[in-house]
Amino acid sequence: MTEPQTAEIPKTESEAESTRELPPVVADQLDDEVAPFRPGVAGWLARGAVWALLAWVVFAIPGNVLSPFHLGVSDVGHASKAAIFAIIGLSLNVLIGYAGTISLGHQAFVGVGGFVSAYVVVDMGLEFWLAVPIAAAVGGLQAALLGAVSLRLTGLYFALVTLAYGVFAEETLFGITAFTGGEGGKNVPRPIGFGDDYSFYYLCLAFLAVVLWADWRLVRTKGGRALQALRENPRVASSYGIDVKAYTLMAFVVSGIFAGIGGALLAQQSTFLVPETFDFELALLFVLMTVVGGLRNRVGVVIGSVIFALLEEGTLVHLLHIDGFLDSTIGLPAEFFGLVVGPFLLLLTLTLYPGGIGQQIAPISHWLRGRKFDLHAGKVTEVEVADVRA
Amino acid sequence: MITELGIAVINGVFIGCVYALVALGIVLIYRASGVFNFAQAEFGTTGLFAAYAGVVLWGWPYWLSFLFGLAVAMAMGLATERLVINPLRHASRVTLLVGTAGVALAAIGIQFWKSNEQPIRQMPKIVNGIAAEPFGTAVTYQHLVTLGVLIVVAAALAVFFRSPSGLALQAAQQEGTAAELVGISVRRVSMMTWGIAAVLGGLAGILSGPNLTFTAGYLTFGAGAALLPGFMAAVLGGMRSMPGAVAGAMAVGVIEQLGSLSIFGYYTGGGAMMLFFFLLIVLLVRPQGLFVRKAVAT
Repeated sequence: MTEPQTAEIPKTESEAESTRELPPVVADQLDDEVAPFRPGVAGWLARGAVWALLAWVVFAIPGNVLSPFHLGVSDVGHASKAAIFAIIGLSLNVLIGYAGTISLGHQAFVGVGGFVSAYVVVDMGLEFWLAVPIAAAVGGLQAALLGAVSLRLTGLYFALVTLAYGVFAEETLFGITAFTGGEGGKNVPRPIGFGDDYSFYYLCLAFLAVVLWADWRLVRTKGGRALQALRENPRVASSYGIDVKAYTLMAFVVSGIFAGIGGALLAQQSTFLVPETFDFELALLFVLMTVVGGLRNRVGVVIGSVIFALLEEGTLVHLLHIDGFLDSTIGLPAEFFGLVVGPFLLLLTLTLYPGGIGQQIAPISHWLRGRKFDLHAGKVTEVEVADVRA
Repeated sequence: MITELGIAVINGVFIGCVYALVALGIVLIYRASGVFNFAQAEFGTTGLFAAYAGVVLWGWPYWLSFLFGLAVAMAMGLATERLVINPLRHASRVTLLVGTAGVALAAIGIQFWKSNEQPIRQMPKIVNGIAAEPFGTAVTYQHLVTLGVLIVVAAALAVFFRSPSGLALQAAQQEGTAAELVGISVRRVSMMTWGIAAVLGGLAGILSGPNLTFTAGYLTFGAGAALLPGFMAAVLGGMRSMPGAVAGAMAVGVIEQLGSLSIFGYYTGGGAMMLFFFLLIVLLVRPQGLFVRKAVAT
């Protein structure tokens, strides 16, 4: 009996001492029980049916393919806007959710992206496919500049600087007529082949997919893990050798790049860009949709952004046919529904469901991924946003 | 040039009075709850809408509408404390910030909805007419009333903070647990602070409203935007000092006006640019504030 033990010990010790190869970290180790749950044939069929239904809603209905409804051009335009808002929501999620730093000037990043893209297409006469990378690069660059100067400040003071930057961009940068076209705005033609609203919607979806993929990869890199650590406790993180400022700056730059892409698409979607679009109210709306969607929950953020984008001009109210009801009972016109109801959703999210929409849909999304249906899945007790200094 | 500077300083000081009222509320709430209150300016706009409804829509006397506006602002402040701040008191400060921003946006949404038929409105002045014209710029009686109210409010706050309830308030803000032990109700103090701050916001709104036409979100991002300057003023005072906040508000008002000098004449938004760079420089060079000796913010 003693022999195998003595044979084992040196081996394990040498394994433990070797730092060349770390054992792979198994994700979701706690979630898998001793015998992991496997759905039966009927279970897989049911899940497959729901997936197919989701895919049908996202891909088929807006294109009027295999669908009993007929969506007009304006409805599809709203769908494109929803996809763009989802990109912007993911951009803010990187900052608020992953890095725990809040930006109240995100409308400036989106706006700069939009106007740069418009400038490249209209004034320089370049292709849209070149304008998007340029807008993304400018978005990243301005985030890098602002962050390099002001990330010495943390928490509330940084939020204040972004707020001031947003107002500065709105009134000063967007007031430069040569760049933005001034009060009259700017006409932005769509790229060749995506001129009509239906094909443009699929273009927006493709960009959303790219951003989702980049976001998913970001969380799994060294930088993503560093962000997770510094959000929980920046002091502990820095004592483990994580450069808190550098990684926060990285998150800010990534967020700026995503916002630049979103802005470029928004310019193409609206085809007519005026500086007044990008006011402080829009920045508040962006924060709102991200927090209501559920921080650090990609699906939740996307759903939250889509809901707020559709609420903005009352599209969702029209689609649900409750506009007449609202107008007759409390006299609320459909176009104000989002503005009035949205903030209350936010307050409810903060006080009752800190995980946002992501928390509410967790049972379904877990079930769709082949787990058991559990009503209490994905419970979050508090919106954990880092509280560094101030 | 001298005339231009004179105009900028005079306009800046009178705008600074409004900023000071907002900044005092921000400082009070920061000391009580440790939160950057983004709803502070909305207390003002809501009070302004209520006072407007009293004077213009319902034909009440001005003083009654004025008090009604202040009462509505105060009710909003108390409701914010009860429904948002108190349930979130253990949450992080950035969460609280998002919560107050939500309150502001809710108020703006309701204002947009309710003023849909006539989005742009004009509040009548307390006293019409122009008092003096130094450097050719008009100083209205409304401006002088605002300045007078600010002086009275500052004096009242100074007296109040030396009275027993004022001392209780300061004690609860500095060390909540210890204050509870000597019999101060932190809960009541928190309510009181939010009530006072909301009245200050209401004063800012109702007094500055008649200077221009107003819309929904007037004090937050509208024509009379005082939220960002108010925050800057509070930061200049180190977020805790009340005299510092008032001095900061005057400085911010003048600096913003300097942005509209004719040397920046070719660009719009000179004021916003001046404020952004000024805030950046102050926060980077003296993050503890300009008008305080030592850092007290923790």
